[in-house]
Amino acid sequence: MDLSDEIRIAAPREDVYRALNDPDVLRECIPGCEELTQSEPGKLEAKVVLKIGPVKARFAGEVTLDTSNAPDGFTLSGEGKGGAAGFAKGGADVTLTEDGDETVLSYTAKVDIGGKIAQLGSRLIAGTAKKLSGKFFTKFGEVVSEQTLS
Amino acid sequence: MNDQTMTPEERAANLKGMGSSRKRVEDVRFTQGKGNYVDDIKLDGMLFGDFVRSPYAHARVVSVNKDAALALPGVIAVLTAEDLSPLGLHWMPTLAGDKQMVLADGKVLFQGQEVAYVVAEDRYIAADAVELVEVEYEELPVLTDPFEALKSDVVLREDLEGQTEGAHGPRKHHNHIFTWEQGDKDTTEAVLAEADVVAEEMVYYHRTHPCPLETCGCVASMDKVTGKLTLYGTFQAPHAIRTVVSLISGVAEHNIRVISPDIGGGFGNKVGAYAGYVCSVVASIVTGQPVKWVEDRMENLMSTAFARDYWMQGKIAATKDGKITGLWCHTTADHGGFDACADPTKFPAGFMNICTGSYDIPTAYLAVDGVYTNKAPGGVAYRCSFRVTEAAYFIERMIEVLAIKLNMDAAELRRINFIKADQFPYQSALGWEYDSGDYHTAWDKALKAVDYEGLRAEQAQRIEDFKAGKTRKLLGIGLTHFTEIVGAGPVKNCDILGLGMFDSCEIRIHPTGSAIARLGTISQGQGHATTFAQIIASEIGLPADDITLEEGDTDTAPYGLGTYGSRSTPVAGAATAMAARKIRAKAQMIAAYLLEVHDDDVEWDVDRFAVKGAPERFKTMKEIAFAAYNQAIPGLEPGLEAVSYYDPPNMTYPFGAYVCVMEIDVDTGEWEVRQFYALDDCGTRINPMIIEGQVHGGVTEALAIAMGQEIAYDEMGNVKTGTLMDFFLPTAWETPNYITDHTVTPSPHHPIGAKGVGESPNVGGVPAFSNAVHDAFRPFGLTQSHMPHDHWRIWKIANGLGMHG
Repeated sequence: MDLSDEIRIAAPREDVYRALNDPDVLRECIPGCEELTQSEPGKLEAKVVLKIGPVKARFAGEVTLDTSNAPDGFTLSGEGKGGAAGFAKGGADVTLTEDGDETVLSYTAKVDIGGKIAQLGSRLIAGTAKKLSGKFFTKFGEVVSEQTLS
Repeated sequence: MNDQTMTPEERAANLKGMGSSRKRVEDVRFTQGKGNYVDDIKLDGMLFGDFVRSPYAHARVVSVNKDAALALPGVIAVLTAEDLSPLGLHWMPTLAGDKQMVLADGKVLFQGQEVAYVVAEDRYIAADAVELVEVEYEELPVLTDPFEALKSDVVLREDLEGQTEGAHGPRKHHNHIFTWEQGDKDTTEAVLAEADVVAEEMVYYHRTHPCPLETCGCVASMDKVTGKLTLYGTFQAPHAIRTVVSLISGVAEHNIRVISPDIGGGFGNKVGAYAGYVCSVVASIVTGQPVKWVEDRMENLMSTAFARDYWMQGKIAATKDGKITGLWCHTTADHGGFDACADPTKFPAGFMNICTGSYDIPTAYLAVDGVYTNKAPGGVAYRCSFRVTEAAYFIERMIEVLAIKLNMDAAELRRINFIKADQFPYQSALGWEYDSGDYHTAWDKALKAVDYEGLRAEQAQRIEDFKAGKTRKLLGIGLTHFTEIVGAGPVKNCDILGLGMFDSCEIRIHPTGSAIARLGTISQGQGHATTFAQIIASEIGLPADDITLEEGDTDTAPYGLGTYGSRSTPVAGAATAMAARKIRAKAQMIAAYLLEVHDDDVEWDVDRFAVKGAPERFKTMKEIAFAAYNQAIPGLEPGLEAVSYYDPPNMTYPFGAYVCVMEIDVDTGEWEVRQFYALDDCGTRINPMIIEGQVHGGVTEALAIAMGQEIAYDEMGNVKTGTLMDFFLPTAWETPNYITDHTVTPSPHHPIGAKGVGESPNVGGVPAFSNAVHDAFRPFGLTQSHMPHDHWRIWKIANGLGMHG
């Protein structure tokens, strides 16, 4: 499954970049996030409760960040396991473009899913993924702009 | 009592015997919600089992952590392969001579494979506990394409590594299971080389699933005091299951009682032995409490037996005026992770060698290669006799492809190649002896009924209108003449796990002239209690309404191989007639004694024996029954009962002619069945109403398969059609009206001439629907397009032919 989107955030690029690397901000913004810790630089471990159609499960996952291209962008890859509900793995390329005082964040992601969540059909998965990423970035935009203002 | 006022015809009608459209006695309880299915069985202290299943199609199982699950209140046990291996039960034999993991032993080979079995006090706790079992997997490369699997270095079955010999001969590759060859390869290839015309095509019959409304399940109950194990389950072959359970578990066969209660459809899905049965039995033996396991819909679709998945490469040779001279077929059969096909032992590709169909083809060759992939195991006969629907689809597509090549009318091409009525019994090039048939009569009747000439004229006009831009709808005329091979089968060449495929019937006549009959088969909706009583009624002259019929309890019913492959009427139906005839033979002696004449001086007359030449002197069957229990007759034992075990001398060969007329919208891909005509010849007809019902159901399942139903996998081995949202199950909305018709060509070797009908409509229906789609696009250049023909795929055909401008 491929996902892509573009979001405008009312904050300078440095702030956006810093926030994207801040476990506290991410924990606050990721829908259903219960735990998120940085195990080592560039490595995050998370527990997230997800509900996709009739399947609700706690996914435990690990995300690795490649920041060699910072602050123009970065890539991330990760895997989440939801036990009987299935699993998800994938990666995303994120680019951050300055536009005056604001930043345009665009991403393309490729996600493979397996198990029960995959069987429910792409019509549910794609919609849910879009909704969740929308939720994340709305919240993220709010948090980052607040931090920049304060 | 000696009623002389009724005519023989009136007396026969009162019996509601063979030929009567007697209403189904089963429906009294089914229509009132009083059926008794496995999930209705509730025993004291019953526990519930549920599976932890693999989300991966191919992975190593690194560890299974049960701690969190076991800590949940109400969880009794969590079983893994490690727990089963000391009992030797972590693997089980399959029906195809392979073995299959009961619970994942080190790795998983398909998505949905059973990894651990949770036992809990209720099914909700069990489901919660399944979520708490932590399994660590290490992903392995996934093979979902059988052609890739045969080239890949990835070894799917590490347990078989180094084994170059399988249950059915040499293995050519580590993902290869068997090669099965039939017919004469050299002669066939020589015929192809010299032929005027050779048509060649790859015909794919996609993977689908029987999807019975009731999923698979069981209740295992071990009585630790008596040492008796009772196993209730959705078994299409209860006696064979008892033997298999005994052999696997070590519990003596007399201590096992298998009961198949009411079954909500089987269609082949409930023939095999599944991990759920083994785990439930083990759990009950260990806990001493009954354990119930019932699949949910997703589990049923993704893990218990699938059907089809045959890639059939065909070549058909003919003279330039259309006489077929040879047929060649190479099939690549995708069997999934384990070879769990349900076929008679000597037939690893079932009766695929009926693929010469209804045609007099002098030479033929068939080879089938079985292949392992990362898909669910199975390969059952979904409403057909072993692989017969694949064979029928193959030949009926090849005929159409040849017709295109010859630029001939497909109806005429069939007609000139049919086996003629005077050629029966007919020896086919691939080794079968067709018992009887009259294909030309059936064909002509069918074409006349649908006004074939008129349809073709209408189609020609439609093509002109389409080309002139007056319509966007095409007309397809789908033809099929199929020949089935059912009623497995003769013990000399048909067995399953070494058990000969005979069947049985036991009849006891009660003193007041009613009766009970028990059979080795089991109805899953076929209406056995209705129809088998009709056979007995006609044979011994007691009303069908006075005959109880029982099946499915191995403690009371005689041993039999069960119900699948349209074998109930050809085999158990024959046993029923033979047992009834034994009773009639004894009744004749009793009647002669009562009438004080010699045995040879009485003759059978509908429901009585009468003195020859003196029809007013007779004893009815009812009187004879009473005499059997109250008269001391010299030289005769008291009582009136008989049992017959019937080993059929040959298969039976039902056939039929189907025509489907379909409207197709080239812009949306939507289709509409305008007319469906089904002529079936199943030999002697026992209950015309039930036959009609069988045809309606079978054609509807054929509609599903041809027009949308499939088990599809993505590249990662995910089942993409694991719910009824994606898996097409037609409702009344999608189901068209059907016109049914018949001819009657009795089987010469069956005691009552019956051939079996339950599966014919599926065997004939699928090519009829598919051929209609192909026929609609034939004038625009289409030769072959794979099923299922859903709207999207039909749209793609039109698009590919440049019909969207």
